[in-house]
Amino acid sequence: MAAVLDTRRSRYLLVGLVVVHLVAISHQVDGGGGASLLQRGVFAVLSPLQNAVSAVVGGISGAWNGYLDLRGTHEANQRLHERVRYLETHLQQRAHLAREAERLRDLLGLREILPLETTVAEVVTRDGLPWYRTITINKGARDGISLEAPVLSPTGVVGRVIAIGPHAAKVQLLQDRDSGAGVLVERSRVAGVVSGQVGFSDSASRDLVMKYVPHLADVVVGDLVVTSGQDQVYPKGLVVGRVRFVGKGSGLFREILVEPSARFDEVEEVLVVSLPRERLDLDRAVR
Amino acid sequence: MKALWTGLAIVLALLVESGLGRMVPAGARVFDPFLLVTVYCALSGGEARGMLAGMAAGWVQDIHFGGPVLGLSAFTKLLVGYAVGVGSGHFLVVGPAARALVLLLATLADTLAFQWLAAVFDVPVLDLSPLALASRATLNAVAGAGLFELLDRRIARSFAE
Repeated sequence: MAAVLDTRRSRYLLVGLVVVHLVAISHQVDGGGGASLLQRGVFAVLSPLQNAVSAVVGGISGAWNGYLDLRGTHEANQRLHERVRYLETHLQQRAHLAREAERLRDLLGLREILPLETTVAEVVTRDGLPWYRTITINKGARDGISLEAPVLSPTGVVGRVIAIGPHAAKVQLLQDRDSGAGVLVERSRVAGVVSGQVGFSDSASRDLVMKYVPHLADVVVGDLVVTSGQDQVYPKGLVVGRVRFVGKGSGLFREILVEPSARFDEVEEVLVVSLPRERLDLDRAVR
Repeated sequence: MKALWTGLAIVLALLVESGLGRMVPAGARVFDPFLLVTVYCALSGGEARGMLAGMAAGWVQDIHFGGPVLGLSAFTKLLVGYAVGVGSGHFLVVGPAARALVLLLATLADTLAFQWLAAVFDVPVLDLSPLALASRATLNAVAGAGLFELLDRRIARSFAE
């Protein structure tokens, strides 16, 4: 009897929870907004743990890479003296540091060139669900980062902030199917919108699709694609990628694939744009 | 007490997924520790515990790794947790092979339900190729069955002591 009651109670609970979820999802789809309070709460509580794991994983992978390098060196130079091995290890560590410094210099260089207020952030994790292309960064609202903030790397546009916690933020990559950025072909000033591809997540989805380009538009393979600034999210003139394929497409528009400049799977540090300086100046002028 | 362990398991799943995402992004797209938590809770605690654990795990997964529309993973894991819980009441799911089969089916159900739900609500998501689906299901089944076995042995040993 108790088992029957339990089963019945579970069924009622299931129906109730299904209805709640359907309403919650529909509400977001209609309104376009996320369950921000819950999101903020969970992000606030759990993102420090994620940051800690990232730090530990970074340390372990660094140590592991060091170990692998050391083993490789050992195998290659077995006959050499202990001191040489020691120095080689140090050399590798130096090389690693130099590469890191170079990467940071690139980032700093970009930061100085850009007429924007930016914050440097580290990538904590990425792609926990195969249907989306997102990364989590270790800077959040407390660091001055806001929703919809554009995220850049030294090589190109990475994406935009779609969720935010006090010390972490979730970034939707340009590769995501739900992403979008207003762009221009730099040479011919042909405008369009790039987003992730419709298709399988594990094959041929690295390129971006440039949409709404008419058949008569002047676009050729190799053209540089930059942001147009018309979407009110990405500042104008940032590099998105190069045209890799121009096809006939169906209907009114051409099929254009853009090879992104940003290396989404390898990016470790990013710049998050706080507010364009012009917009800050405009705000001041209005006040 | 069970709720506490379930909560800890979900936090652990988040940490595993975060670490994996940092080290091997492709691996994080395939392996789903949140689903393992859901299935284990459903197998050991029945449909009510399974669906509640699945719902909580899904929400954490949605918030940390999902897109702008939240709740899709929570919804699918709620259903998977319930289904596995009901199934475990009707069938004897004992041993690594049976559990691996349950995990395989649960992963397939979770993945297909997610894609179906995204299509119904017109949420743009990337599709999974049959190869990706198969590797996701196989990896979760093998890793999950092994982990469940280890966990059960550990629990049995602590009871014996």
